[in-house]
Amino acid sequence: MTDVIANLALGFGVAFSATNLMLCLVGALVGTLVGVLPGVGTIATVAMLLPITFGLPPVGALIMLAGIYYGAQYGGSTTSIPVNIPGEAGSVVTALDGFQMAKQGRAGPALAIAAIGSFFAGCVATFLIALLGAPLTKFALVFGATEYFSLMILGLVFAVVLAKGSLLKAIAMIVFGVLLSMVGADIETGASRMAFDIPELADGLGFATVAMGVFGFAEIIRNLDHGASMDRELVQQKISGLMPTRKDLKESAPAILRGTVLGSILGILPGGGAVIASFAAYTFEKKISRTPKMFGRGAIVGVAAPESANNAAAQTSFIPLLTLGIPPNAVMALMVGAMTIHGIIPGPQVMQKQPELVWGMIASMWIGNLMLLIINLPMVGIWVRLLRVPYRLLFPSIVIFCSIGIYSVNNSPTDVMLAGGFGIVGYWLAKHDFEPAPLLLGMVLGPLMEENLRRALLISRGDWSVFVTHPLSAALLGIAAALMVLSLLPVLRKKRDEVFVESEN
Amino acid sequence: MNNTQNGATDSSAPARKIKGPQDFYGGLVLMGIALFALWAASNLSGTHGFSFGPGTAPRIFASLLLLLGAGIAVSGLLIEGEPIQRYGFRGLFFVTVAIVSFAATIRPLGLAVSSMLSFVLASYGTPEMNWKETLIVGGILTLGCCLLFPYGLGLSLDLYPSILR
Repeated sequence: MTDVIANLALGFGVAFSATNLMLCLVGALVGTLVGVLPGVGTIATVAMLLPITFGLPPVGALIMLAGIYYGAQYGGSTTSIPVNIPGEAGSVVTALDGFQMAKQGRAGPALAIAAIGSFFAGCVATFLIALLGAPLTKFALVFGATEYFSLMILGLVFAVVLAKGSLLKAIAMIVFGVLLSMVGADIETGASRMAFDIPELADGLGFATVAMGVFGFAEIIRNLDHGASMDRELVQQKISGLMPTRKDLKESAPAILRGTVLGSILGILPGGGAVIASFAAYTFEKKISRTPKMFGRGAIVGVAAPESANNAAAQTSFIPLLTLGIPPNAVMALMVGAMTIHGIIPGPQVMQKQPELVWGMIASMWIGNLMLLIINLPMVGIWVRLLRVPYRLLFPSIVIFCSIGIYSVNNSPTDVMLAGGFGIVGYWLAKHDFEPAPLLLGMVLGPLMEENLRRALLISRGDWSVFVTHPLSAALLGIAAALMVLSLLPVLRKKRDEVFVESEN
Repeated sequence: MNNTQNGATDSSAPARKIKGPQDFYGGLVLMGIALFALWAASNLSGTHGFSFGPGTAPRIFASLLLLLGAGIAVSGLLIEGEPIQRYGFRGLFFVTVAIVSFAATIRPLGLAVSSMLSFVLASYGTPEMNWKETLIVGGILTLGCCLLFPYGLGLSLDLYPSILR
């Protein structure tokens, strides 16, 4: 316990420096700003804004990126209440009841409850990270190459099982991502692999390049399919009376608590992260509610629970990243990309060698949440006005912004072309119902998996059976296999789909 | 990435042999990618004793992708599924052209000209574009980017065409 407090104190010491506070604030604001824009999801926001952090020192860059992340998360829910446009996937369910509340003239309390729930969840999650960080890191340090490889397999299986859609297709996307990660120089021998003597490919495909293509450009092209005019049902009346009533608070408090717990657990598990957390929390509330009919007609718990859950999950998903070095979802994969650019390889070593970096970031999360609570509620009016920016002007701006961003990473026009190419790939993938998130995960985990697989087999002298004879590794693989089998059972499959279907009708 | 657009085209084609075209062709293309990767990695040396060569892992994963692609294609052949969705070529074309134009012109023409040009090109991606609006917003955005990136963020970008530098 003293450890936890000492670590947090160290973190707050770092985070409370003037520059870092500033960066946290700017990150949260810019994240909200972009997150609010319709048709730009959380992942796209983080991918788009990644390059603006390149010039900063590592701690500052990570603090700002984390700020951007939960800012975007927050922006997404802000717009889903007064305007029926969820800015990102996680707030789709918030829109169900939030928008109904707004129609009844209760947008203020809905927004306030969402903010309070998010803040509470954020506090709990921050503490949870601090609490679990150190022991998990110690645990991770006893892992050898064999265990690490099995752990990654388990992580990926989790990601596939919790994701939406076909298992086979999700696995294919992971493998595709791993394959993409192998382009460029081989780590051990230096041999150039699948690079066709293109100098820009010698160092491998840039992570930011692929992410920007598959998430940024592809999403724009997809949105344009429906024509640029998205239908927007704006609630015109002014948002007045932010404060929820005593009854609202009393109703929401247990929901916030349940949402936080559910979100924290689902966030740590690799896979869905924030998105699945909010879906699950909503479904859960509806199931245990005494008045399930109220859901979809402006039930305040229908806002409180998913919002707390998605914020809790957004933050606890940092736990596997910081302690084990394994990103549990696509946004965390982007964080790995950003860290690598700053020369940091996330994992147990970072926690030990650069504690100020990790704890500074964790502390800044709490500060960032507080800032969002204070800044965003009064600024809701401005955010909503942003939604009136027509998409026909918005999307060319995003194209330019992304292009400049990619170009500035290496000052390389080829990177911009590659991102454009991946935009087309991403568009094609979407048309065939392939999810791009597992691809990104595969691409980040690819080099790690290959390295550990190679090392494990080298140590075992080429004997593949080590993965099942090492007890820890065998246990991890056993869990992975069990999960796969379970998720294929028709009963559970139906349940899983139900959770996602909730939003669509 | 959350919602898939279902039913973009009608599925009333008479007596289709392929039950889920979306998966069938998706799987085929993945198989193509896998074969391409296998070919691209064919010149790399493989396993040597019990240590991996540079070509081992690419071959393992490419073969895996080949199998998975085949699995998806077969399931698309046999299981009733989604039809191929309609592609919107206008957005695809102009957004791509705008990106390519940016890549081609950023070095010789500099940020100011390049981003303005790409903005206009990208705007064509929708039939709703109108010239006046595009030029005004594009101009403001270009100005903003010219201030933000080189000065605000300290990135080394050339602002003006190389002749003027």
